[in-house]
Amino acid sequence: MKPRFEAIAWRAMRYSGILLIPLAWFHVYLQDVIVGVHAIDINYVAVRLANTGWVVYNFLLLAFAFAHGMYGLRQVSFDFVRSERGRRNVSILLLVLWLVISLIGAIALIGGARPELITH
Amino acid sequence: MASSASPLKTTATGYATYQGREGHYAFLLHRLTGLGVLLFLIIHILDTSTVYFYPELYEHAIALYRSTPFMLGEIGLVFAVIYHGVNGLRIAVTDLWMPKRWAIQTQRNAVRITLAISVLLWAPAALWMTYNMLLHNHGINLLPFIGTH
Repeated sequence: MKPRFEAIAWRAMRYSGILLIPLAWFHVYLQDVIVGVHAIDINYVAVRLANTGWVVYNFLLLAFAFAHGMYGLRQVSFDFVRSERGRRNVSILLLVLWLVISLIGAIALIGGARPELITH
Repeated sequence: MASSASPLKTTATGYATYQGREGHYAFLLHRLTGLGVLLFLIIHILDTSTVYFYPELYEHAIALYRSTPFMLGEIGLVFAVIYHGVNGLRIAVTDLWMPKRWAIQTQRNAVRITLAISVLLWAPAALWMTYNMLLHNHGINLLPFIGTH
């Protein structure tokens, strides 16, 4: 991998991390603490997915949090995989995983919930 | 690195035996919380995607998240997200704008402060989630004057 990529990624990890503090904290406090899992059902999610603002918010989370996490996993794995070839394989594997799961999440965000799932 | 020892063993030994005190523990906790949050994030992207792909499955996922073992996990998850953020802010701010503060004594103090801030931000959330878990899963109302809804 080119050193230029690693230098950009090094900065991106720090800036995305700072951005994720308000983004991820608000999400976790709202859904896990204030609303709570007992108040979350498919209707709750369907209502939120029908709101463009929340869809954009979720897109930002999906893009920044997941990329930050997968790049972090790559860095951790490099502590254990030292060979050039091994690191290349790990990088490709994580890149594919990241793309596939991001795509699944993005399709679901754009597709949203069927209107009949909003029951109240 | 042309070493005969396996990198796995070398790294694991280093993780366990490096005597860096605060900085060492902060590093380990940062990695542990980061990996934990990522694991949950992958599951969470996929389970939330079922709302579009297979809504019948979503209710099962939510039922699982409401169970006591998962709620305990969620309380831990909230700590992981908070700690990873506070400690990450320490790293990012020092790296980007004040690299001179990468002195061991300065950072030992900074690490203690990040841990204190994390616990302070986490404790009210953890107590509230515990209250809700006991109320909904075990019928125990720790705050009867608030009433149930």
